[in-house]
Amino acid sequence: MRLIFKNLNILRSIINTINTSFEIKEIVESAGNNLPNLFEFSAFGVLWKAESSLYLFQEESCPPSFTQDVAGNMVRVFSVLGEEPDDLSRITLQVEKRKLRPSHMAMDPKAKLRSYLVLPLAVEAEIMGSISLNSDQPNAFDAQDLQFFSVIGYQMAATLKHFQRFSTVKTMAIYDPLTTLYNRRYFEERMIVEAQKSFYGGSFLSLVMVDIDHFKKVNDTFGHTEGDKVLQEIATLLKASVRKKDTVARYGGEEFILILPEAGLEEAGMIAERIRRLVESTLFEVGQARLHLTVSLGISNFPGHHARSKEDLVKMADQALYDAKRGGRNRVCVFHSVQG
Amino acid sequence: MTKEAKGGKWTSDLVLDLYSNLLTEVWEIVSALIGEAILELLFNLSIKKIGEKYPFLNSLVVSEEGISLEGIRETYRNLPPVDLHRGFQSLINHLLNLFSALTDGVISREVFPKVFPRVREAERLVSQK
Repeated sequence: MRLIFKNLNILRSIINTINTSFEIKEIVESAGNNLPNLFEFSAFGVLWKAESSLYLFQEESCPPSFTQDVAGNMVRVFSVLGEEPDDLSRITLQVEKRKLRPSHMAMDPKAKLRSYLVLPLAVEAEIMGSISLNSDQPNAFDAQDLQFFSVIGYQMAATLKHFQRFSTVKTMAIYDPLTTLYNRRYFEERMIVEAQKSFYGGSFLSLVMVDIDHFKKVNDTFGHTEGDKVLQEIATLLKASVRKKDTVARYGGEEFILILPEAGLEEAGMIAERIRRLVESTLFEVGQARLHLTVSLGISNFPGHHARSKEDLVKMADQALYDAKRGGRNRVCVFHSVQG
Repeated sequence: MTKEAKGGKWTSDLVLDLYSNLLTEVWEIVSALIGEAILELLFNLSIKKIGEKYPFLNSLVVSEEGISLEGIRETYRNLPPVDLHRGFQSLINHLLNLFSALTDGVISREVFPKVFPRVREAERLVSQK
């Protein structure tokens, strides 16, 4: 009886750590750290379909062959549950090793998977993944282990579902639904981080503001649905033209803004010119027609333009864009403190 | 209702009673091990799969409270007992395979001793034809 109480207390503690976790890696780690108090196992696995990831928390002496056995078995069992095996072939394996047993009981270098428990992680009939306990010993688990493990599985599934919902809300909050670029709100947040890094760290930071020339005509002539398609195509071209570390956001209407961290004026100019040429050379299918469109671009830079705040930098890029428009459109202009 | 005139010992109702008891027993044993929600999911997956071949199984109602054969009794009691038996037998085999795949014998060890005598009994009933 005392043992059952002890185990229930450990179970409560595991559930509590799962409940208070903020990401799946944390769940796996906190659960993994506590599971050895309940079970004797060699590896604990969490397969999460949404991320196509398999997290393994395992004894440090686990040989690669055992890891492969566990991963293969989890994928196999998941496909038995009716899930698409194709989706699982691209699984990313993330292994965390810990000392789960004394040194003299280290695993055999040729250890194989001898026994396991796998349970689906499911909420409201949706299978989100699975969890497993694995051992190199035969018949390592019994009915009571399964009972405790299923309680952990329920809690983990509920927490993961919560993560999924949170992730959807987060996506809605930072992306522009039409273009799937970041929205203005995210741009403002990102600018705080990048401006701080740049202003205090002394690194370059450039902004490029982009506006589609005569976009109103497209909307007026072909309608807003076709206009939206143009916005989507331009968004794709912008995404394809920048570096991995850059941020592309829809600033509003037909205006876009690019944050280019660590980019001096020369590099920002090259990126902006690349965008201008790419748009100019693209034939846009608008309704039944094929159109050539152009964009105007304005660049500001820190420290080149002596901006004192992120707001200054945005104003400067906007001013440069205005110059590009006034200068005849389809061009890139760099901010000049004395306008002429 | 189908009734064998000669033997008079087995009917569709008898087969349904037998499998109703068996499935209830499986439900009680396994839900105590893995909980009702996961078991409901596994039952529904199995019904969906085996229901392709034996459509009458799609009338089974599974919830966290258990499994009900009332839909089958109402709609399919005129099916030949042997068809009912084959359908339920396939469903149970599929469930047992699923349990084995998931828990490497832990569930099977608890369930097999109960299931096999019942399935044998059903076989015996059907073979009396």
